[in-house]
Amino acid sequence: MTSAEPESLAQRLEALVGTPVGPSGPSVGPDPVNQPMIRHWAAAFEDANPAYTDPAWAEASSFGEIVAPPLMLQTWVLPTPIITGIAERGGSPVEIEGSGPLGVLDDAGFVGTLASNSEFEFERYLHLGEVLSATTIIESISPEKRTRIGPGHFITWVTTWRDEAGEVVGRQVFRILKFRPELAGP
Amino acid sequence: MTLTIGDLAEGDALTPMVIAVTATVIVAGAVATRDFMPVHHDKAYAESQGAPDIFMNILSSNAYCSRFLTDWAGPEAVVRRVAIRLGVPVFPNSTLTFTGTVSSIDVATATVEVTLQASTPMGDHLTGTASLCLPRGGASG
Repeated sequence: MTSAEPESLAQRLEALVGTPVGPSGPSVGPDPVNQPMIRHWAAAFEDANPAYTDPAWAEASSFGEIVAPPLMLQTWVLPTPIITGIAERGGSPVEIEGSGPLGVLDDAGFVGTLASNSEFEFERYLHLGEVLSATTIIESISPEKRTRIGPGHFITWVTTWRDEAGEVVGRQVFRILKFRPELAGP
Repeated sequence: MTLTIGDLAEGDALTPMVIAVTATVIVAGAVATRDFMPVHHDKAYAESQGAPDIFMNILSSNAYCSRFLTDWAGPEAVVRRVAIRLGVPVFPNSTLTFTGTVSSIDVATATVEVTLQASTPMGDHLTGTASLCLPRGGASG
């Protein structure tokens, strides 16, 4: 490194901590929590929990009404995908401006991405008709580490979902490894 | 129908759950969670990314964790936390076997902590911990 370099990679990564992943404002769910999407989810995972799909059971239960599966939380705020061109966009469901904050790592050769950890916490269950919003903030970026698939940086971000009153309904801490792929040994 | 906190002891095993994973299972889960990343439905695209086939998305892995927990504990159990570490991917024509153990019980808050894992013939797909709130029960024998 020379002093002529305006900013090291470490400095550029440090500057990302505390900044949003994706749009700067909250993402808003395109549809409220609804029975058709819940029924579709329950069918896909063959989850027969009547709290999700049986109104009579739900009314008589401790829930008092239909509730959404807690692990659907992330699904409510995902954007409606633009199917055309999705592969060309590297799987991104919608057009993104620029390369996003993590493009710094891609540009430095850390082009591989591997999900490492997911930690969900739920403040409460959701009911039909609720509209959610979410914000995702980069919490930390590790120094470069050796891993068995190559050198990389662990990136941790926290997504917070809120209801229409602004109350937090759940959070997810998500960690990925951005790594520089190395040729496999013999 | 739902376990109560008094029914449990530390070390109790959760009821195992086995998922016979096919391409249909993987695609159905990806679409139901609104995850249209091509690696979860397009084999040719997955191969172009270095994978041998399409593979299960993380939202589906989490969904199966919640089904595993409430299939065991019952429909009135409330999932409070699911924390997983991801391991090997899940490809079609495999099996995903969920097992778990009660690690601690807090009677005061009616909360039970469990450890869980989901394994494939190639190794663990995920390992983690979860917590649920259960009915207190005990109204009558």
